[in-house]
Amino acid sequence: MAAVATGGALGGVLAVPGGRAGLAGAIRSEFTKIRSVRSTYVSIGVMVLAGITWAVVFCAGTAAHWAHMSAQTRGGIDPTQNSVIGLALLGQLGIVVLGALTITSEYSTGMIRTSLTVLPRRGLVYGSKALVLGAVGLAASLPASFLCFFIGQRFLASTHAAATLSQPGVLRAVIGAALLVTLTGLFGLGLGAVLRNTAGAITAAYGFLFLIPELARALPTPWFDDALRWLPGGWFVNQITYTNPESNMPHMFFPAGELLVFAGYTAALLLAGAVTLYRRDA
Amino acid sequence: MIEAAGLTKRYGSVVAVDDLSFTIRPGVVTGFLGPNGAGKTTTMRLILGLDKPSAGTVTVGGKPYVQLRSPMREVGALLDASAVHGGRSARSHLLCMAQTNGIPGSRVDEVLGIVGLTDVAAKRTKTFSLGMSQRLGIAAALLGDPRALMFDEPVNGLDPEGIRWIRTLVRSLAAEGRTVLVSSHLMSEMENTADHLIVIGRGRLIADCGISEFIAASQHQAVLVRTQQPGALRAAIASAGGTTSAATDAAGAAGEAAIEVRGLTEGQVADLAFAHGIRLHHLSTSNVSLEQAFMELTADSVEYRANPPGRPTAFNGTEA
Repeated sequence: MAAVATGGALGGVLAVPGGRAGLAGAIRSEFTKIRSVRSTYVSIGVMVLAGITWAVVFCAGTAAHWAHMSAQTRGGIDPTQNSVIGLALLGQLGIVVLGALTITSEYSTGMIRTSLTVLPRRGLVYGSKALVLGAVGLAASLPASFLCFFIGQRFLASTHAAATLSQPGVLRAVIGAALLVTLTGLFGLGLGAVLRNTAGAITAAYGFLFLIPELARALPTPWFDDALRWLPGGWFVNQITYTNPESNMPHMFFPAGELLVFAGYTAALLLAGAVTLYRRDA
Repeated sequence: MIEAAGLTKRYGSVVAVDDLSFTIRPGVVTGFLGPNGAGKTTTMRLILGLDKPSAGTVTVGGKPYVQLRSPMREVGALLDASAVHGGRSARSHLLCMAQTNGIPGSRVDEVLGIVGLTDVAAKRTKTFSLGMSQRLGIAAALLGDPRALMFDEPVNGLDPEGIRWIRTLVRSLAAEGRTVLVSSHLMSEMENTADHLIVIGRGRLIADCGISEFIAASQHQAVLVRTQQPGALRAAIASAGGTTSAATDAAGAAGEAAIEVRGLTEGQVADLAFAHGIRLHHLSTSNVSLEQAFMELTADSVEYRANPPGRPTAFNGTEA
C-alpha cells in the first residue's frame, strides 16, 4: 500500500461543516445503505420477475383453454386476480427477505455497532429503516403490480374477458396487492429486529405466512371458518386481490379489512423489534 | 474528555468491567492496556452507549454518549475494522455514516484521501485486505473531525509502514488538542505512542498514571548473573539482603546457572562475588520494559497505584 500523508491533512479541529444528527440525515443514510448492496436488487428483481412470470403463465393458460371452458367456468374466472396474485404471493417471498436483511445483515456483519455509534438514538435508526424500506417496497411493488395487471390482460385479450382499471374493484385489487407486498417487507424487518438473525427471521416469516395457515386446516370446520379471517397466508392474498364476486370468501373481512389485519400483525412485530433494539445491548 | 465513575458491566454472573473510574484528558495519547478479556472493548462499548452499564456512569464532554446531538463531531471510534457490510463499497459505507450526522460527501472523499484509499473507494469492502479494512475503519473515525478518538487495537494487521503511519496519526491527533484513547496489547507500541496509561485486568483498574511513572514504579530492576557456583552466590546474595530467582529466558552454557537478582545493584553483586571468590560468567542489569512491567502487573492482578505529582488520579470509584 502506498505511503500516506498524515497530520496536517486532517484540516484542524472541527473544520467540517454541518454535523447534527437527525431524522432527515438518518433517512438519507438508510437510503444509501439499501441502494448500495446487491441483495436489494436481487430480492426486488426476483419479486418482479416472479410476478410477471405468473401473470404470463396464468393468463396465457386461461386464454389457451378459453375455447374449451363452460360458461360456468368462464364466469368463475377473475382476470384481475389471475394477473396480480402471483406478484402478491411470490412477491411476499422475495420482499420478506429484503426486509429481514435490512437489519439482520447489520447484525451478521457487525455494521449495527457502527450504525448505533454514529446515531445513538436507536429509534431514529430503526424508524428510518422502516420508512425507507416501506418507500422502496412501495416504489417497486406498485409499478410491478400495474405491470403484471396490464401484461396479464394483454394475454387475456383474445377472450374478451380482460379487465380494465375502471371496472369495480380492479384498481383496489391492483393497489392492494402492492400494499400487501410492502407490508410484508416491514413484517420481515420487525422479525429481523427481534431475532437478529437472517436465517431465523426468514424461516419464521415463511412459517407464519405459509405454514400456519396450512396447519390451521386441521381445526374443526366451524373453528377454522371463524379463524380464517385472522389467518395470514394465501387467503389474505385471495381476499385482497379478488374482483369477481364469485371469488369473495364469505368467512373473511372485506379486502381493506384483511389488509388491516395483516397491517396489525406487522405493526405488532415492528413494535416488538423496537423494544428489542432499545432493551438489548447492540 | 471522557469520564467514567464506578463503571460496571455484568453479563450474568461474569463481571466484565468492575467499578472502573478514570478520566481521559485531551491533548495526550492515553494508552488503554490489558490482557485479552480484561474488559477493554467492553469499556469502549459502554463509552459509546452500545452496552448499558450495570452500574456507574460514563460521559463524553460531560454528557452520556446517547444524549449527544452531534455524536460524530464528539467521538470517532474504531472498535472492529471488520464490522462493515462487505457488499458495500468503501465510499458508500462512509457516506451512509456521514449522512446520519449531516456531514457532506466531500468530507468522505477527504478522509478516503487521508487514509490512502481513494483508488479503491468504489471497491466492495469484502475484497479489502486486513490492512485496508483497518484504514477504512480509521477513515470512519475521522469523518466527523471529532474532539475525541477511540481506537481499539488499531495496528492489528498493519505492515510496519502502516504501524508507523498510525503512530504518527495518533500523535498528531493528540497534538491538535484532541482526546485520544488507544487500546493495545502490544506494549512496545504503547511505549512509543502513549503519554498516559490506563491499565486494567479482569475488569478492574490496575494503574492510571504517566508512562514513565508506570515503568519507574514497577520496581523490577533486576541484575542478571550467570555462574557455575549458583549455591554459593545465592547464599551470599541472601546474606546481603537481596533476593534471587531462576532467570527463565537467559540460557547459558552447560554447567552455568542463570540467576536474576533483585534488591542489589550490578556493582554490589560484583563486589559480593569477588569477596566470596565466586566466578561470574555474566553480569548485567536487565532493562525493565513496559512489556515486562505490564506482565508482572496483570499476572497477579495486584491493585496498583502511582500518583504522578500534580495530577489527581481517580481510582476504583473511591475517589472521584
